[in-house]
Order: sequence, then structure tokens, then C-alpha cells
Amino acid sequence: MSPEPTTLLQGTLDLLILKSLATGELHGLGISRRIEQITGGTFNVKPGSLFPALHRMEEEGWTSSFWGDSENNRRAKYYRLTKAGRKQLESESKRWGRISWAIAQALEA
Amino acid sequence: MPFVSKTRSFLRNLLSTRSVEQDLDQEVRSHLQLLIDENIRAGMSLKQAERAARMELGGAEQVKEQVRQARFGNWLHSLISDCRFGLRQLHKNPGFTLTVILTLALSVGANTAIFSLVNALLIKSLPYTHPQRLGTIYTRKAGSTMVSEDRHNLDGERWELLRDNVPALLSAVSGGTSGVNLKADSRVQYVREGRVSAHYFDVLALQPVLGRNFSEDEDRPHGPKAAILSYSLWRNTFEADPGILGQPILLKGEPHIVVGVLSQGAVTPSNADVYTALQPSREGAGGGSNFDVITRLRDGATWQQADAELNRAWAAQVQHIEKHNPGVRVTYFSVPLQKGETESLRPQVLALMLSAGFILLIACANLAGLTLVRMLRRTSEVATRLALGASLWQIQRQFWIENLLLALVGGAVSIGLGFLALKELFLLLPEHFLPVASVPVDARVLAFALVVSVLTSVLFGMLPALVARKVDLRSSMANRAVAASVRVRQLLIAGEVALTVVLLAGSGLLIRSLIHLETLPPGFNPNGVMVAKASLDDVRYHDPATFRQLLHESIAAMRQIPGVQNAAVGLTLPFERAVNDGVTISDGKEAGTQDGADLFYVTPGYFETLQMPVLAGRVFTDADGTDTQKVAVVNRSFARKFYGGSNPVGRYINKDIVIVGEVADVSVVSGLEPVAPLMSEQAMYVPAAQVSAKFLSIVHVWVQPDWIVRTAGPVEGLTSQMQRALAAADPNLPASGFYSMKDLLARTLATQRIYVALLGAMAALALLLSAVGIFALVANTVAQRTREIGIRMALGSTIGQAMVQIGRSGAIASVFGIVFGLALSAGALRVMRSVIYGVGVYDATTVLLVLLTIAAITLLATAVPTLRIARIDPARTLREE
Repeated sequence: MSPEPTTLLQGTLDLLILKSLATGELHGLGISRRIEQITGGTFNVKPGSLFPALHRMEEEGWTSSFWGDSENNRRAKYYRLTKAGRKQLESESKRWGRISWAIAQALEA
Repeated sequence: MPFVSKTRSFLRNLLSTRSVEQDLDQEVRSHLQLLIDENIRAGMSLKQAERAARMELGGAEQVKEQVRQARFGNWLHSLISDCRFGLRQLHKNPGFTLTVILTLALSVGANTAIFSLVNALLIKSLPYTHPQRLGTIYTRKAGSTMVSEDRHNLDGERWELLRDNVPALLSAVSGGTSGVNLKADSRVQYVREGRVSAHYFDVLALQPVLGRNFSEDEDRPHGPKAAILSYSLWRNTFEADPGILGQPILLKGEPHIVVGVLSQGAVTPSNADVYTALQPSREGAGGGSNFDVITRLRDGATWQQADAELNRAWAAQVQHIEKHNPGVRVTYFSVPLQKGETESLRPQVLALMLSAGFILLIACANLAGLTLVRMLRRTSEVATRLALGASLWQIQRQFWIENLLLALVGGAVSIGLGFLALKELFLLLPEHFLPVASVPVDARVLAFALVVSVLTSVLFGMLPALVARKVDLRSSMANRAVAASVRVRQLLIAGEVALTVVLLAGSGLLIRSLIHLETLPPGFNPNGVMVAKASLDDVRYHDPATFRQLLHESIAAMRQIPGVQNAAVGLTLPFERAVNDGVTISDGKEAGTQDGADLFYVTPGYFETLQMPVLAGRVFTDADGTDTQKVAVVNRSFARKFYGGSNPVGRYINKDIVIVGEVADVSVVSGLEPVAPLMSEQAMYVPAAQVSAKFLSIVHVWVQPDWIVRTAGPVEGLTSQMQRALAAADPNLPASGFYSMKDLLARTLATQRIYVALLGAMAALALLLSAVGIFALVANTVAQRTREIGIRMALGSTIGQAMVQIGRSGAIASVFGIVFGLALSAGALRVMRSVIYGVGVYDATTVLLVLLTIAAITLLATAVPTLRIARIDPARTLREE
């Protein structure tokens, strides 16, 4: 299945999804587009990665889902953060901050 | 919290699969729809929008599968669905499934049955407390050329030294088990009596359920006569009477006081119904090496210590042997009792296990071939699944799971089959043939069957799985795999035919040697002779006069039976083990020669009843009595061995016995120098009337005399009339059994017969499996090449040519197998040298028969599937493609 860089990528993807949901509930495509937007187009998350991550995060209890209507009246499955999800976002952001700072330091040295 | 939500989703994924799946399906669909909407808003046509959306989604099924794999508890879910799919696949191919399960069941069943024997004989601990502290004594004789190690039987002197001077061991001896007459109330019963020394049950740590074990006083020569009953004798004959203790029972004509009753299920190496104290001394039985010894290491002692004490205690005996056998070093050492008890059967049991292993290999080869074909047939299925997003690992796993399912079902059936085989085997074995009470199918046997089935499935699944790795979406690869697979299968079949050749040749040699033994010229006329055996191990018959009177009256009564031409008594008969005695030549140039010989006592009618040819002189008459000249008749081998073949009549042996006649050799079970189960060796016959009281008191402990009658034709109720005749002479003398000479021969050759039956069954199984293998290969080739055959026939090939063309693959494999198998046999069968008689290891007849058998089976297995070629319609086959 996924090769070595999984941990980093998976962690990154999880953090990006959590972040995209921080401002409110979104459906799968919405999450994908929001990530594209907030990363300035760097990350284009394909459904093949997005959906497994969404389902896994729901099983972890970070998100919850419900069926609702989209902006142009299509039925879509929406995701929102739970309390545990918010906590996870907070701690993951801090961790990520530390890691990126450390890596930036390392590269400047 | 995460734990709760995980558990919840685990259960939901597992239990409400359908709604979870629907939800996922809808989500992916809606995602696609949203993508299309987005594309349309960006200005694409509907068609373009759909196409772009699908490209971005990257395959709905693959996405779903990826989500499924990310799910918690996915492994269990996919395992279950793989199992379900596997079962469906197996159900869809009943022919394949049945063949595999039957092959597994037969091969693993054979292995399970044989392993049960190995388990009971060689692995399972003896059923006594601390079995590792139980032992027996072996002698090691180390000469300059060879070393021999044998279980050591003790004489009275050694026993006393062991008992008194080896404090590290608690020891006991037994004098063997033999049939005796037990009189309880007015009923006389024939039971097995074990003669054991005082601490026999203490060594085995068996506590009686009633009373006590023998005291040392009861074990002293001429001590009080005591008996210990087995639980089953106590229950069946004495109705479990708790008041039996202290009561006398009449055993061998003498009252014995019952001092104990063994607990239920207690077994001893002697395996008797009733035990009496051996009362060993240096006289009588103790004058020769007649005692079996068992020892228990005392607390705090070590085996090294025990062996050191033992060699010190027997130092004088060691010196004696070494003086008479210069250059030989003699040492005694302890050996675990289990090893001592089962050593003689060990090679045979291991050989059986080896041939069972062959069967397993043959089965593996067949199964590998079958699964390989099945695998290739499923190439398109595999390709479809790969296209639908299955990983290679998932496909491999599917095959493993199917194999495992087959292995489990086959294993379960094999356990049942093994159990049945074991029961059949027991019907074949004579009573008390095995030194263990039972051969249980215990947890170890079950585990063995399971492990072997799974191992087999791994073995036969491995090959197809390796081939599957090569399966590609492009079909050309699959075709190449088919061609390779025929080679692989031919190789497998050659291998299994080779193993079959070895098994067939082995059992052929055993059958040939059994036929040789059964058709040996017996040296007398065995037809029309009926035998009654009875125990004279009775204090009354220690007296020669009473003994003579019994013989006289019983023979007279038997001669009265209508239809009986002649009657006699003898100890013993041809086909039986004779008593061995020493003989000294007393006159002529051979004077002083000493050697062993078989000793028979017979009544005057013995030679006539058996119709043994008299070669010189005369046989006995009623005139040869107590007070007349002591006489003997010897056989041809005796004359040859001691007198160089010249006429022995008139020569003297053992000081004062004159030889009056010479008779032909008969086949006996040798006790002197056994080189075959049946052979002839030097023997001397003496008149029953001239046997001494001392001899009578000893010999009947071990051997029972035979009453024989000769009839012209079948006589109605002969055995009951013989019993009545015996009772007329002594109402307390039950016959222990009635036999024809054929029965005695069969009893003697029982072991050979068992070998033949067991190895024969293995060989037949191997042959069957090989036939199935060849059949499957050819049948498969026919199926695969139907089109090619159609073209050939359209181009003018005859059906016969096509059949030969196709059948060749099986025949070639078989021929290679035969060649390889014969080469293998040449090496492997040499180990059989010690169990075959009258036939060499390289026996042309056997080889020829093996070749013919395999050729016939190969022909059959290749011809039957090629018959289908005759039904191929070239026009239709060509149109179908």
C-alpha cells in the first residue's frame, strides 16, 4: 500500500483536514478545495487519499459526519470537528510548529 | 473517548456492513456529482465535465477499496469475506474440492494412524508416577570388531546381587506371563498369570485398591503362596467381593491367599490377570537368565551412581564373561524403561512412519498439480480482480485462505479416517502384541494431524502461489505459464511415481518372503490335524506318575472320538517355539561336543499323528517307559550338525541316552540362532514317559503341551469332544485354545503378515494417488488442447494418433518416475535385508511385477481421459474459437 513517507504525509494530511474544518462543516469536495485554497494551491488532495483519511479520522472520533444539502441542492456528506478533533488540531498545530521551526533551523545552519 | 468511538465503528463495520457500504457508495457518487457540477460551472460540456470528474476521482471502486482498507477492523472483515468467497469457489468446483479433500484425508489419515502408534510406543510417557525414574538394564559387549547392546535378562544369582548390593535402585524382576488354570468355586478358568518379585508394584508405584503388595516373606523360596488380582478379574470372576482378601483361590492346583487387588486400569509390563510372588532363587528358573528386570531410581540417587554400583555388584560375572570371550569388554547400564520395552518395535514403527511420509509427499505432489491447474484456469478471474483494485497480496491471500480451508476440512476428515484405520489395525494385531495397553488418539495425535494438514496445504499451495506471481494482465504471460506448468506437473508426477515404486517394491519383497515362509516344506502333514493346548503348570503334575497317567487317559479318550485316526501329546509342535536345552555327545570321535538343541517330549503316537517321515531306526513305543533304557529320536539337522550327516542310531548323548531313530526336519520358531521366523534346526525328541520330575516342574511354567488328533475329514464338534476327553482325564483341566496347524502357522507369522498388510496398504494408497495424479494431468491436457486436437483432426490426424500425442505427457512422466524409483529402490531397500527371507533385495520377479503394475496403472490413467478425444468434433471446436 503506501510507501515510507506515510507518517509525515498522513500527519500532514490529517492536520490540513482538521484545519480546513476549523471554520465550519464541509463536504469532501469542499475540504479538498479549501485545502487547495489555504495552501496556495500546493496540495491537491485526490479522493483516493482524502476519503480513507476522512473515514479514519471519523473512527478516531475527531470528526463526525451527517448528510446535508450542498449549495446547489445536491445531497452530500458533511464533516465537522468534534471536541476531540479541536484538541487534536491544537496539539497537532503545536507539534507541527515545533517540527517546522526545527527543520528551518537545521536548514539554515 | 477514541476507544469508545473505535469500538462503535468496529462493530458497525462488522455488523451493519450493508448500510456502511451504501453510505460509502452514496458518498463517492455524490462526490462525483459535485465534481461534475463544478466542471460544468467552469464552462465544460456535460460529456467533458463527466470525463474530467471521473479522471479526478480515479476509479470509484478503487477509492472505495482504499476507504475499506483504512477502516478499523478491516483485517477481520476481509478475512471473513475472503473465507466466504473461498467457500463459494470451492463449492463451485465440487470435483476439485472433493479430490483435494479425499487426497488429504487419505494421506493425512494414514499418517495420523501411524503417528498414533509412534506416539503410544515411543513418545507417550509410561503410565506410572515419575516415569523418567523407571529403567531396565542393558549389557554392552564391546569387542574389537563390533559393539552389541541388548536388554539383559537376569539369573537368580545376578538378581540377588542386584537386590542386595545396588542401593541406588529399587529393583524387581518378573518371570514372564503364561496361561494357568484358576479354580474359583466349581468353575475352572484359564487366566494369564504374571510371576513378579516382592517390590514389582512398588517399582511401578502402583498402589492396590484393596489389600497390599507382596511382602518380602511371600517372595522367599518356599514362602507362603499369595496372589494379587487384577481389577477386571476381581470384578468379573469374584463379583467385586470386598471380602476376597485373605481367602484362598486355587491356582495351578495349589491354594494361594489373595492379598491384594490392583486398581482399575492399572497396567504392568507383565500384563496379567493374576499375579503371584516369583520366589526367585538360584535354582529352577533362576538357574538361567529368565528374569526381566525393572528398576526405579531412588530419591537422591543418580543413574551414574546406579550404574557404577551395578557394575561393582556384578564384577565377578563380568570377569567370567570376559575370560571366556577374550578381547570383549562387558559393561552393564541403565536404560529408560520405555526404551527397553519398545526397542524391538522401534525400527519397524519408524519405517512405517517413513512410508507414511512418502504417502504425504505423493499427496502433496498431486495437490500441487491440481491447485496449479486451478490457479491457471483462474487467470482471468485474477486479472479482473487486479483491474478492480485488488492488490497482489490480496489475491495471494485469497489462495492461501482457500488452501487453508481445504486443509482444515481435509484434516478433520483425516482424523476420522485415521481413527478407523487404527481400529482396523487393532483387529489385525494378535492380543498382547504391543507392549502398551492402548493406542489413544490423544491431543498430541490431533495436533499432529492438524499440523500435517496445514503443512501439506502450505507445501502444495506454495507452488501455485509462486506461479501466480507471474500472472500478468496481459494474457500472453498466462499462456507461457501453462506450458511451464505441464513441465512442473510432469516433474511432480515422476517424483510421486518414483516413491510409489519404492513402496511397491518394498511391499513386494515382504509379500514374497511371506509366501516363502508359508510355503516352506513343513516336514510333516499339517492337514487334518487339530490341536488343543492346556496348561500343566499345576503342582499335581510335577509328579511324573500323575503326569503319565493324565497323558495316557486323555489320549485314550481322544482316540475314542469317532473320526479320529490317531492322537498324541507333545511339547511342542512344528511352527511353535521349542524348548532349548544343552546336549553333550557322549561317544565316538565327537565325544564331549556340547551345544544347544531343541528338546521335545512326545508320546509314542506323535510322529505317526503328524506323519513325520522316519529316516532311520525307529520311533518310540509304549515299551519305552520309566524303567527301561533312556532313548531319544533326533532329526536330520541334528545328525548333520553333530555326526556329519552319518546315521546317528545307536549313538549316546547326555551320558546314558541312546539314539534310536532319525526323523525329518520340521519348521520351528528358532530359539537357538534365529535367522528367519521359521526354520529347521537340530532337535531331539524324548519319550514323555522318561521325563524327570525336575524338568516337569520347570518347563510347564513357560510352555504348554499340545494334544493333537488326526482326522480323515472334518468332524462335527471335534473341539468340544476333545475338551470332554481332556475332562475325562482331569475335570479341572480346561483347554486354553484349539488350533489347526494353519492357525499355528498364522500365529507364528503374524508379525510378517502385519508388515505385509501395513506396507501393502501404503503401497496401494501410493498407487492410487499416483494414478489420480497421472489421470488429472492427462485429463487436463485434453481440456486445454481441445482446439489444437480439433485442428489436427481436421488436418487428417486419426483419433488414435491424437490420443497417443496427448497421453504421452502422462506416460513420459511415469517412465521417468519408474527409472528414478528403481534407482532409489536399489539404495533404499537394502535396509529391508533383516526382514525378508528366501528372497534377495534385488529380486527380478518383484521388480518385474512392480514394473507391470505401474505400467498397467499408467496405461489406465492415461487412456481413460484420452477417450474424450474420440468425442471431439473438429468442426465444432473450430467454430467455437
